Amino acid sequence: MEAVSICLDRISKKFSHRVKGEVSAVSEVSLQVQPGEFLTLLGPSGCGKTTTLRMVAGFERPDIGRIYIGEEDVTDKMANQRNIGFVFQNYALFPHLSVFENVAYGLRVKGMGDAQIEKAVTEVLALAGLKGYERQFPHQLSGGEQQRVALARAVIIQPRVLLFDEPLSNLDAKLRLHMRSEIRRLQKALSITAIYVTHDQEEAMAISDHIAVMNEGKIIQIGTAEELYLQPNSPFVARFIGKINPLPAAVKETGPGQVTLELFRQLFPVPGVGDKFQPGQKVWAFIRPESVELSSRVEEGYFQGIVRERTFLGEKVDYVLEVDGHELSVTSYDPLRHGTFPIGQKVGVRLDPRLLKILQGEG
Amino acid sequence: MIRNPRNAFRQVIRDPLLLVTLAVLWVLLILFILFPIVRLFLQTFEEEGRFTLANVLKILGDPNQRQALWNSLILATLVGLWGTALGFLFAFTAVRTNLSRGWGFFLDASIILPLISPPFTTAIAIIFSFGPRGLITYELLGIKNVGVYGLTSTLFSETLTFFPIAYLTLKAILAGIDPNVEDMAFSLGSSRWRVFRTVTLPLTVPGLANSFLLLFAASLADFATPLILAGNSFPVLPTQAYLQITGLFDLKGGAVLSFVLLVPAFIVFLLQRLWVSRKYYVTISGKVGAQTRIKSVVPWARVLLLALCLFISAFILYFYALLFYASIVRAFGANYQVTWNHYHVVFTEGLKAIRDTLIIAGAGMPLGGIYAIVLGYLVAKKVFPSRQTMEVVSMINYSLPGTIVGIAYLLAFNDPPIMLTGTAIIIIACYVFRYGPTGIRTTVAILQQIDPSIEEASFSLGAKSGTTFRRITVPLILPAFFAGLGVVFIRSMTAISATIFLISINWTLITVRILEKMTELELGVAAAFSILVVIIVFIVIGAISLFLRLFRQPGAPDMANILGG
Repeated sequence: MEAVSICLDRISKKFSHRVKGEVSAVSEVSLQVQPGEFLTLLGPSGCGKTTTLRMVAGFERPDIGRIYIGEEDVTDKMANQRNIGFVFQNYALFPHLSVFENVAYGLRVKGMGDAQIEKAVTEVLALAGLKGYERQFPHQLSGGEQQRVALARAVIIQPRVLLFDEPLSNLDAKLRLHMRSEIRRLQKALSITAIYVTHDQEEAMAISDHIAVMNEGKIIQIGTAEELYLQPNSPFVARFIGKINPLPAAVKETGPGQVTLELFRQLFPVPGVGDKFQPGQKVWAFIRPESVELSSRVEEGYFQGIVRERTFLGEKVDYVLEVDGHELSVTSYDPLRHGTFPIGQKVGVRLDPRLLKILQGEG
Repeated sequence: MIRNPRNAFRQVIRDPLLLVTLAVLWVLLILFILFPIVRLFLQTFEEEGRFTLANVLKILGDPNQRQALWNSLILATLVGLWGTALGFLFAFTAVRTNLSRGWGFFLDASIILPLISPPFTTAIAIIFSFGPRGLITYELLGIKNVGVYGLTSTLFSETLTFFPIAYLTLKAILAGIDPNVEDMAFSLGSSRWRVFRTVTLPLTVPGLANSFLLLFAASLADFATPLILAGNSFPVLPTQAYLQITGLFDLKGGAVLSFVLLVPAFIVFLLQRLWVSRKYYVTISGKVGAQTRIKSVVPWARVLLLALCLFISAFILYFYALLFYASIVRAFGANYQVTWNHYHVVFTEGLKAIRDTLIIAGAGMPLGGIYAIVLGYLVAKKVFPSRQTMEVVSMINYSLPGTIVGIAYLLAFNDPPIMLTGTAIIIIACYVFRYGPTGIRTTVAILQQIDPSIEEASFSLGAKSGTTFRRITVPLILPAFFAGLGVVFIRSMTAISATIFLISINWTLITVRILEKMTELELGVAAAFSILVVIIVFIVIGAISLFLRLFRQPGAPDMANILGG
């Protein structure tokens, strides 16, 4: 079957809350998912990502806005008319049906014949690595096995799109890594357009073609994992994806495509920022812990810091430094080769200006 | 989160099956719950098209009726206190003294007997034991001309009949108190008595209050026991209302009396809903604490508590043995020659009542079960306008004393447009709408444990709401269905307070025959009828428990707990 696109056109959804009154769960969300693409909605709990997904599934109806699957406007269609595969956070297996009957359910609803069902279910169970589990019941399965059944049950109806609502959050860490590559493999093999919801940024980065970061019912930024990590458009995205140091700074001078900041009471030129800043402006400079280099001497253009905390983690060392009265987190890789610094030591701190991101607001 | 009311309305419009079901349910609820109550109100407050308080004032002005109201309240208060005390004794012994499984089972089994018996059982046994020719008073103690009728015996009988409700309520609460909480108090240096006084008892207080209110309401509504045991010197409201209608053919007087009964019943209902149900302490702390041995009582206290419980259990068993004995001797108190005559009467002259009762119970059972799961499902799972109203309305007949429901039905269905008096339908409808709510509550409880995403999963796989209900929801709530069936059947076999007003030449009930035999002083036949009912009910409970075990989902309530509600 040909992969289809999904398009959300300015959809909004309000809920009435018994204490807070009307609460806007999703406001004016627009989104375009290409055929065969794997898109993740990423955000903190309560950001509207699950509500958005449930509107695509047809479990909720948007108050305003339209939803298209392929060319078709499905806004007014119920979930059972949309031909979607949905994988739930708690798997939502039918507790009274065997693995075989759980997977067969969608086909039985369609009125398919027994022989055909038998063949299709056997095929899908093999694909999901569940051969031999046909007669088991959900409560007899482990979390990972239940997840596979849920996945098999969703894909057997050959849905136009696959929707995942935090499907891995109930699994232990090791299984989570394994299952996420399984999900990705299956989605690629079937080349189905997929939307995936998670609050785990690492999972999102590992699994997706594109990530849409959401906060307070709105999409903040859409991009690949690298784009979001390296070019966050807002303090929220900068802080949500990976770890980052927000450093208070002020714009001293502007030149063509570059600014000079006052940072830690030193002048610090930053190239390649365009011309959106004015002199005198208060800004925040964001830098990742691994983009900071430490050395035992303080050279020209370096800042001076003192090691306050030190956590040895084998392949890396996490430091907390004090620089000009501010805290600065630093991660230094491969300590066996580069050596480490003890607590209390004065160190030189070099910030790579190309990896520094200047934004307004702390986030 | 609650969905938008606008969306709720749209949801109904988009789902024609839901719309039709709602319409049918509302017609039934209006016809069989609201309409009769409205008729009762009109009968009480309307005179020639105008509102009047004259009827109520006339009743309240009559010293006899005032006495009856007063007696009802005294009796209900005493039953509430004694029943709660007894229930607490049993519950505490059952869950706080490390009873072995065998003893626990014995206590449970002896307590379930009063719950499933026809209403006169203890009353008859009390007459056999303590009456003028009673086994204990006359044969054993040699007291002649003892007066068994009055407050004391009524109180005694009702307490024994209703304390199992208190037991079930309090047992659940005591069992829910984490022993680690008590351990904590011990570790802070408290003595056992101090722990009981300062930790265990305060945590149980809301349960005690709830139990008191439940028993108060049960006693207030009880019609059968006072009819047999209260005698002329101790009139109570439900019997007065009955006598007003059957003795004096004064339907209006009966209606007004039952309305007077409604007031305290309603106050208790409100207290229970608004006050007690909010005061439950939650001692569940999320994480399960370490298993600890319960150390609430010292060994001698344990023996004492168990002995007290066994004494009362033995008393209950003795009553049933006595009932059986009375059913197989020629004339209890005079001639102890063994005979099957009474059973012969039961199966010849009484055959019609048995057949009628079984037909009515058999028809009411599936109807009540279906009514319970459909309404319970809608209330728990669907969003539609009037949802809360529907839930409250469905509980009305369950909460009202049976006398009121019976009289209201009599008023509502005696004349056109809807004449049902004399039919089986009126009796079946009365049972379905009066005892269906137990099944509704069980359905709601089970559904609340089922994750809504299970149904959404079915929708996402292309199933319509009807298919989802049939293939997913129904199998999951089957235990509630069977429980609902069971309760309607058992109550159809044992209830009398509402339906005594609804029987006719065409359709009668075993319980009514028992009452008639009692008044005709054919006590042996009454006893035989009672034994028969107990046996039938036992068989049905056994069958349903078996089904429940086969289909039980984790967390579904026990049969015993359902009966207590």
